[in-house]
Formats: sequence, structure tokens, C-alpha cells
Amino acid sequence: MMAVIPTARLGDEELVALVQKGDRRAFEELVERHKQKAYRIAFDFARDREEAKDLSQEAFLKAFTHIGRFDGRSGFYTWFYRILVNVCLDYRRRAKRTSAEEFNETVESQVEPSPLISNPVSPDQHAIAGQLSHRVGAALELLPAKQRTAFILKNHQGLSIREIAETMETAEGTVKVHLHRAVTALRQSLAEFA
Amino acid sequence: MIARDKPASKACRNLEEDLVLYYYGELAESDRRNCEAHLKDCEYCRASLAEMSKLLPITAAHDEPPPTFWSDYSREMRQKLDCAAERKLWWRRIADLFAPIPMSALATGAVLLLALALTFGKGLWQPSAPAPDDESFMEVLPIAEQLDFFSDMELLDNLDLLETFGGQGNGTA
Repeated sequence: MMAVIPTARLGDEELVALVQKGDRRAFEELVERHKQKAYRIAFDFARDREEAKDLSQEAFLKAFTHIGRFDGRSGFYTWFYRILVNVCLDYRRRAKRTSAEEFNETVESQVEPSPLISNPVSPDQHAIAGQLSHRVGAALELLPAKQRTAFILKNHQGLSIREIAETMETAEGTVKVHLHRAVTALRQSLAEFA
Repeated sequence: MIARDKPASKACRNLEEDLVLYYYGELAESDRRNCEAHLKDCEYCRASLAEMSKLLPITAAHDEPPPTFWSDYSREMRQKLDCAAERKLWWRRIADLFAPIPMSALATGAVLLLALALTFGKGLWQPSAPAPDDESFMEVLPIAEQLDFFSDMELLDNLDLLETFGGQGNGTA
């Protein structure tokens, strides 16, 4: 009798091979491994808890549906990451239809202040933190899609330029230009907080 | 010392992009050394770098959902995967129905169907002629009957009779 290896001990690529053979539980293991990272990326784009959950789940579903196309040339996570970023960018195009006011309300209610401005001790500081979240959300929203993507992947996710270029399917030089422009625009928009 | 005509946070123009890459640790070794050498001497670029170091980290949104969120996440995901697997299975069953038929035969069949549809369905897609408006037709008819042209049409009506007479004449000759 063949011993069944617990899915938790298998590598991503081995799990993918099992999924391609029809093992759905192997895919559930992949979800468990990557759901938090996927959620955080989606949250960087959506800045809303429920939206981030939906977006990351949508990306997992797409990966599951198209798992047959995964050829193993890159790692599963790199492949999935690209799907996730595309889902987030599509979301952003859809979300453009919603009003800026709705967006800002969401940002204020969902985004927690960053460590640098956390533990506000006075109402004034709390107000500044809220205002900052509001302004950051609005400033990011104003960036062109590619600049915003490059910036989020670098600044929030810490990907290397090469990884960003791979994810965005563009040249590294182009990513550098997008990143520089995004930083310049954000510095102008948020100069009062610097 | 900072010159009056240049804001403290404004870096040297040719180094702006490099400073962003330096901040993110993305400069190649030699460029990084050049950048650091420049930073020692340039107050503008140092101020610019300090501003980036202060501003950029606070642009990231932090969200730490509670543990219940993650258990709900996994449960919802399993449900969604169930539906997706069901759909996948359904498509596979359809594909299996056509699997024994070679692709070339399927393609030929599709082309034939298209050709038949184009040949026999052509007339069906043409818009039908509008039905004559009976009331307006009845209004025009009495006027038309009074026209001389239509009275001359009686000659045409009698052509058959004339031909008959002509045929009889030829036969008797």
C-alpha cells in the first residue's frame, strides 16, 4: 500500500502537480500557504477589507481554473502573483466608476495608521493620522495604473525591480521610470506630511 | 548650506532616479558607491533622501484582520472552489462527448453548418416588405381609374382577342 504524504510537507510545485491531476485538497493547501500574502497585496490595491478578500479569492479561483496552463517555468507563487496583480488592476479599473468620496470614506474607516503615526495620544494626532490615511489613499488613486502598480509592489510588497518587471511583463528600466515618477508624484501630493 | 533658490528636499536632477533606487536598495554596487559619495557632499540630496525615508513608509496601509476572518476566508474559499470544480466537471463532460470525434471532422462539420446557414438562412434575415396601407390605396384608386392612360389599357386587355382573330385569318388564307 502506498503511503500518502501529507500535503503540508510538499513543495508548491509538487502540490501544483497534484492539482493538475485533479487533487483539489492540494490546491486548498496552496490557498492556506499564500492567502495572507495574497490578501495583503489585494488590500494595498483596494484598501478595503471585504474587497481585498474578494479580490484575493478571485485570483485563487482563476489560478485553480487555469492550473493546467501552469508550466513550471516560474514558481507557483510568481505565476499566481501575476494573476493576482492583474485581478487587482481590473478591480481598479472597475472601481474608478465609484466616487472619490466613497473611496475616501473606506480608507478612513479601514486603514489603520502606520507604525510611524500609531499610538496617537491626543485628538490632534488622531486627526492627523486620519487625514494622512485619507490623503495617501487619494494620492495613490491619482497615480496612473502602471506607476501605482510598480510603487505598491516595491514600496508595500518589497519586490525587487526584476520581480516587478516580471510581474508587470515589462522591462526593468521601465519599472524604474514608473517607480521614480510615482515617488515624485507622491512626494508632491504629500509634501505637508514629510 | 542650502541655497535660497532651491528647496531643501529638491535633489540634484541627474540623481533623482538614482536616489529613489538607492532608497529601495536597488542600485548596482558601483552606482551605490557613487551615490553615497555624492550624498556626503550634497545637502540637497541628503534632505531629499531623508524626506523619502520619512514619507514613503507611511504610505503603506496596514491591516491585520482577526483570526475569525481567516477561518471565514478558508471556508468561503472551499465553497467557491466547490462551485469552480463543479463547472470544470461540467465542461469536461461536454468535452468528453465530442472527444471521440477527431478535431478535423469537428472543424469540417462547423464549416458545413456555417455554409448551410448562410445559404438557406439568407432570405430569413431580409426585412419583409411592409404591407400596403389599405386605406391610402383605396383613396388613390378612384383617381387612377379616371386617368386616360388607364382607359387606354383596355386595348391591352383586348390583345388576346385580336391575336385570336389574326390566327383565324392566317389559317383561312
